[in-house]
Amino acid sequence: MADLALHSVEKTFGALKVIKGIDLDIRNGEFIVFVGPSGCGKSTLLRMIAGLENVSGGTVEIGGKVMNNTPAPQRGIAMVFQSYALYPHMSVRENMSFGLELSKTPKAKIQERVDIAAGILQLEPYLDRSPRELSGGQRQRVAIGRAIVREPEVFLFDEPLSNLDAALRGQTRVEIARLHARLGTTMIYVTHDQVEAMTLADRIVVLNGGEVAQIGTPLELYRNPANAFVAGFIGGQQMNFLTPEQAARALPDTALPDGTETVGVRPEHLQQVTGGGIEGTIDVVEEFGEYALYHITLDGDALPSVTFKSSATGVGAMGDRIHLRADPQHIHAFDAGGLALSVPTRH
Amino acid sequence: MMNKSRTLNIALAFMAVIWVSPFAWLLSTAVDPIATGQLRFPKELGLNNFAQALTGESLLQLWNSLFIAGGTATLTLVVASGSAYALSRLKIPGRNAFLWSLVLLRMLPPTGILVPIYFAAQSVGLLNNVGIIVALTVLNLPFAMLLLKNFFDTVPVELEEAAHVEGASLATILRRVVLPMSKAGLAVVWFFTFTSAWNEFLFPLLFSRTEDAFPMSMGLYSAFGRNGSIQYGFLAAFSIIYATPAVAVYFLLRRNMNTGFAGVGVKG
Ligand SMILES: Nc1ncnc2c1ncn2[C@@H]1O[C@H](COP(=O)(O)OP(=O)(O)O)[C@@H](O)[C@H]1O
Ligand SMILES: [Mg+2]
Repeated sequence: MADLALHSVEKTFGALKVIKGIDLDIRNGEFIVFVGPSGCGKSTLLRMIAGLENVSGGTVEIGGKVMNNTPAPQRGIAMVFQSYALYPHMSVRENMSFGLELSKTPKAKIQERVDIAAGILQLEPYLDRSPRELSGGQRQRVAIGRAIVREPEVFLFDEPLSNLDAALRGQTRVEIARLHARLGTTMIYVTHDQVEAMTLADRIVVLNGGEVAQIGTPLELYRNPANAFVAGFIGGQQMNFLTPEQAARALPDTALPDGTETVGVRPEHLQQVTGGGIEGTIDVVEEFGEYALYHITLDGDALPSVTFKSSATGVGAMGDRIHLRADPQHIHAFDAGGLALSVPTRH
Repeated sequence: MMNKSRTLNIALAFMAVIWVSPFAWLLSTAVDPIATGQLRFPKELGLNNFAQALTGESLLQLWNSLFIAGGTATLTLVVASGSAYALSRLKIPGRNAFLWSLVLLRMLPPTGILVPIYFAAQSVGLLNNVGIIVALTVLNLPFAMLLLKNFFDTVPVELEEAAHVEGASLATILRRVVLPMSKAGLAVVWFFTFTSAWNEFLFPLLFSRTEDAFPMSMGLYSAFGRNGSIQYGFLAAFSIIYATPAVAVYFLLRRNMNTGFAGVGVKG
C-alpha cells in the first residue's frame, strides 16, 4: 500500500506535448478516477505511472520514492489493460500464476493465492479453460484476478469495462467497487465514461487536453464545477448552457455575478411553469420510466436547445409548447474563459 | 452421351495410370529383392533393399542429409526469429522495403550467386556440410524473416507490456509469450527450410568434397551405374527413404497448423 504523487508531470511525443504538467497527490487506499474525452492523455498518464512510458518532465513518486527511472516490475503496481491482454496460449490458472512464477514464489503459495483470487472473482469453474473459451465478462475477471494475485501496492485500470455490453458493465462496476472495499488498495482507474467516474471514485481527476480541469469528489464536481468543461462533462445528462438574456428570463429575481457569459443549469434543475420563463417547443421525449427527458428547441437563435428532466406526468408531448424556469439554488455562472463565478444564491 | 462418358473414363484411367505407375514401380521394385527394373508384381517379397539402404554408406548419407536439413532449418529459425522480432517491434523506417528487397534477391536463381558463394566458402575453409548449412541459411533467411515478422506483428504489444509489468525479461517475454503465440509460423519456417535443404542438390554437389560427406541427394545421383550394373531394388528403397521426410513434414505441418494457430488476440 502506498501514497502516490505526481509533480509537474509532462509527456511529449516528438514535438507533440500530450501531458502538460500535472500535479496530483493520491492518498494510500484511495480510489482515483482519471476521466476525460478520448485523446486527452488519460492512458498516457496511467502508463507513465506504470512505467510503460518515459516521463518527459516532473516526477512520479510511489511510496515516497521517485520512480521515474524504476522499471515497471519494481514499482509495486499491477495493471489491467483495456484489451485484457490475457495470454491466449495459457489456461486461466497459468495466466494468473505467470507473474508469481516469474518472481519465484513457491508453488504452494501460488496455488493458494490463485485459488483465493478465483474465489473472490467466481472463476473457480474456469481455471483450466483457455481465455478463448470465456465470455467477455469472464476474461475481464481473469485480467483483474491476474492483478490481484500479485498483491500490488497500486492497481491501475485502463478503461477495463469498455469492451463489455451495458448490463455487464454495470455489474462489473459494482464488483470493482466491492473489490476496492475488500482490499483497500490504492486504485487508479481510467475511463471516458462519467458514470463510472461518479460511481466508483473517491476523487475524480477530470483531464482535458493534457491538463487537469478539476480534481474533487464526485459531489464536489457535480455541485461546484470549476469550469464549463467539467460542468458539461460531469453529470448524468449534459448541462444546459444559457445566454445571460435567456438566464434573465429563466431566473427573474436572481442577480448574476458580473462578467457572466454563460449560465449552466442541469436538466434536473429546470422547472416547468405555466407562463413566463424561457419558452420553446418539445422536439423529442425520451421516456425512461422513472423520469423522462424532454428535448426542447427554444424560441430565438442563441443556444436554442435545452434538455429538461422531469418525473412529473403531463409535462407535454412532441410539438407542445413549454415554459421553463431554473432553480436559483442550482445554477452555475461562467465567465468568458469558461471559469466558474461564485453565485450568491447557490447552496 | 454414353459414348462421351466412356471416352472420358478411358482418358481418366489413362491419366491415372500415368500418375500412379511411377509410384507403383517404386513400391513394387523396393520390396522385390531380385528386381530387374521392369514394372511387374514382385517375384519375391522382402525388405532386403531397405536393409541395404539403411546400412553402411547409405546410412551415412541419411545422417548427412539429416544433419544438413536439420542444421539449416534450426539455424534459419534461430537467426530469422531474432531479426524478425527486432524488425517487428522497432520502428525502423523502410524496414518493409528492406525485407522485400532481400526477398527479391532470393528470387534470383541460386545458380547465379553460386560462384561468389563458392569462393567465399573456400576462403573461410567451409567447403563442407557446415558450409552448406551456412549458405542455405543465408539463402533462406529473407523469406523466413518476412514470414516470421508478419507472425510477430499479430502478437499484440499489450501482451508483452503485461508480461513486462509482471516482471518478465525480454528473453522470458520471447520464450513464454511471443514464440508460443507464433508457433504456427515457426513450424512453417522450420519444416519448409528442412524440406528445401533436404532436397538440395546443387550445393552438396559443389561443397561436399568427400564421399562420406554426401547427403542422400548426392548419394542417389552417384549410385546410378555404380558397380557396372544398376541395382534397381536398392535405388527404389533408397528413394522411398529419401521421400519419407517430405511426407512426414506434410503431416506434421498439417497437425501443427490445425492445433497451433495462436495468433488471435483476446478481445471482448
Ligand atoms: N506512442 C505515441 N506516439 C505519439 N503520440 C501518441 C502516442 N501515444 C499516444 N499519443 C497521443 O497522445 C494523445 C493522448 O493519448 P492517450 O493517452 O491514449 O489518450 P486517452 O487515453 O485519453 O484517449 C493522443 O493525441 C495520442 O494520439
Ligand atoms: Mg486510452
